[in-house]
Amino acid sequence: MFSDKKARRRSVLKGAAATAALGATGLYAPAVLSQTRKFEGTTINGAAFSHTFSAHVRDLIPEFEELTGITVNFQDQAFPVYNQQADLELSTGGSALDFVNITFIFSGRWIGAGWMHPLDDFINDPEMTPADWNPGDFAGGAQASLQDADGNTYGFAWEAGAMIMSASRSDILDEAGVEMPTTFDELVNVCDAIHNKDGVAAFVADKLHHWNWIPYLMGFGGKVFKDPPGDLTPTLDTPEAAQAAEFYANLLSSYGPEGVLSFTDEQALNAQLNGRANIRTQAIAWHTPLANSPDSKVKDSVRFALMPGGPAGNFPGSNSHGWGIPVGSKNKEAAWEFIKWVMSPDVQRRIAIDQGYSAVTRRSIIESDAYKTQMTFGGQDVASLYLQVLELGGKSGYMKYRTVPVFPQIGDKINKAIERVATGQQNGADAMAQAQDETISDFRKAGVEMDL
Amino acid sequence: MRNGCDLTAAASDIALVRGRSKGRSFDRTQRLFYWYCLLPALLVLGVITLLPTIYLILVSLTPLDLTRPNTWWNFSNPTLNYELLLEDRRFHNSMWVQAKLSFWTVLLQLVLGFLFALLLNMRSSLLQALRTVFLIPMVLPPIVVAIIWKVLYTPDISPFYWAFKAFGWSVPALITDPNWALTAIIIADTWEWFPFTMLMILAGLQMMPQEYVDAARIDGASPFQTTLFITLPFLKGVLLVAGLFRLIDSIKAFPLIFILTEGGPGTVTEVTNYYSFVQAFSFSFLGFSSAITVVMVAATLILSWIIIRLVGWGGEDG
Repeated sequence: MFSDKKARRRSVLKGAAATAALGATGLYAPAVLSQTRKFEGTTINGAAFSHTFSAHVRDLIPEFEELTGITVNFQDQAFPVYNQQADLELSTGGSALDFVNITFIFSGRWIGAGWMHPLDDFINDPEMTPADWNPGDFAGGAQASLQDADGNTYGFAWEAGAMIMSASRSDILDEAGVEMPTTFDELVNVCDAIHNKDGVAAFVADKLHHWNWIPYLMGFGGKVFKDPPGDLTPTLDTPEAAQAAEFYANLLSSYGPEGVLSFTDEQALNAQLNGRANIRTQAIAWHTPLANSPDSKVKDSVRFALMPGGPAGNFPGSNSHGWGIPVGSKNKEAAWEFIKWVMSPDVQRRIAIDQGYSAVTRRSIIESDAYKTQMTFGGQDVASLYLQVLELGGKSGYMKYRTVPVFPQIGDKINKAIERVATGQQNGADAMAQAQDETISDFRKAGVEMDL
Repeated sequence: MRNGCDLTAAASDIALVRGRSKGRSFDRTQRLFYWYCLLPALLVLGVITLLPTIYLILVSLTPLDLTRPNTWWNFSNPTLNYELLLEDRRFHNSMWVQAKLSFWTVLLQLVLGFLFALLLNMRSSLLQALRTVFLIPMVLPPIVVAIIWKVLYTPDISPFYWAFKAFGWSVPALITDPNWALTAIIIADTWEWFPFTMLMILAGLQMMPQEYVDAARIDGASPFQTTLFITLPFLKGVLLVAGLFRLIDSIKAFPLIFILTEGGPGTVTEVTNYYSFVQAFSFSFLGFSSAITVVMVAATLILSWIIIRLVGWGGEDG
């Protein structure tokens, strides 16, 4: 009887222990397991513009598919092509895409028009997002353009772009006896000294002038808008804008390789990788391949610096691009699984440290020793350059001009104006005055109130 | 006898009237039959052509902007887009660029098409074999043609530029030079489409009776005179149709401009349909873009009508 009771008690205790253990694990493990394969058989479609980060993501997709059973169709296209197609798709509220890159210059437009799905419900649901995913780990500056005025989150930044300068063939600078330029005047002098030495063009840039030119505009004391985002009166017809346009157009036409005005990002990068063009001012992700890409022929000669400043100061561009979910997507939860996975601390660390991606957005990675080591090239601490630019951009908020909903309209006018000046069709003042007139006309169509 | 004649005449009159009546009835039945046959095709045509056109015109009367939902079906100021077009310098420039592009591409394609058709019309087995080769550019997808020319025009990857460099010649990048960019588009478009005009003219040439040429030769006409006074007038209709096709197609030129220049440098190669595309798909101004398109459709119709009135369709007397 006793033994029976004892045995029964043991059985009960064992059973209770087993139940408790199952219960304890059941609170976590089954949820994780069910989450992992919850969307098995689902196909999600995503798109972004071509970038080194997109290439890393593409390489990692099979791992995600293996883990979750979700099939990912991912396409990346040239920057302007992607933006145009995504803009059209989002404007129709279509369901063709389940996750997209929210391009910096379109963030205000896409989020403001209600074309992106808010992610807060996903983030705040522990069933969907574990606490250790830690959304607070993303750099605040990089996340700013992916949130609305009420603080709702529509995306997570995969790039915190910071504009720096590189010289792919610093040996030519050394031979010419010149240093990396720190001011606009020095930049011209250096270009003069090194242009076409050893068949290498002194300066190269891609054709996205409304990104590349703005730091020069601000360096001369000009602005794009009167006081963005509140007052969107364009200010392109100022003497400072005309001066900046002529300065930058001269860099392109006098020191650029033949055909530079049609260069895409990839062409400009290739010109540097192959040592055919020397100096470039652009976001950091387009510079670090010069030091760590297997295709680079300039690994030993590349040098990095802050981009030069003008009479009014130094305004290197900073931006961020992030993953978001279109409001029309029919697979929002599966898309969130993908975004959550690709932006997880582990995958981000692997992309940053193992693959050498520089423009990472998780603070825990930026501040890690491994990242600092990764970002040190030939004794040059590029990580500190990166942080300096991010701080400059965040301090005065001079990048606010870029996320207003009507930026695509004014960006187009800037591109055209710089091309007209660089090809000698107009002088800076006339080109910028025309850009101003055309922008005002387009803003009227868009219903923008201006102080004219 | 007279009565008999009268009766016969009356009978024949009645038969004639009945015959006419039967004939008219037959004609009417035949016409109805044709209409019944045509009706499904006309209905389909109306749905796929007429309705979108009506919708386009309606949208052009609104300030439709995809980022502002309140602009849908807002007809409060229906002429606004057209008023804006009147003062839009970039639109005016695009029309002028379009005119230059259309003029030169149509002219060059007709001239080259005619010359190559004359060449290929000669009785030679080599030339017969070459016909297919000449057709290749025309059957390539337009985007492939654009990429081919993008490679050829881009100095750092172009075999032409490598050759120029090897000879020590400095040649500007055509697609970024404002003096050459439009010419670069014209060259690429002509390369792509002269085989079309060549093919049509060649078909026309093969329809031409040899007697015309023989008679001219007997009268002592030189080959040049034969071409000028016999062949060209005979081909008038074919040339007009080929020219009209190419004119209408030149107004639709898009892939070459999108891939090669994006309308630049500045707006040197920005034709009207590219400008309309930018307004619609870069800025979401669908109302304004529709107004541009309506103007383009109207201009094309008017231009085609004028050309047909001026030149005529050619025909048997041609």
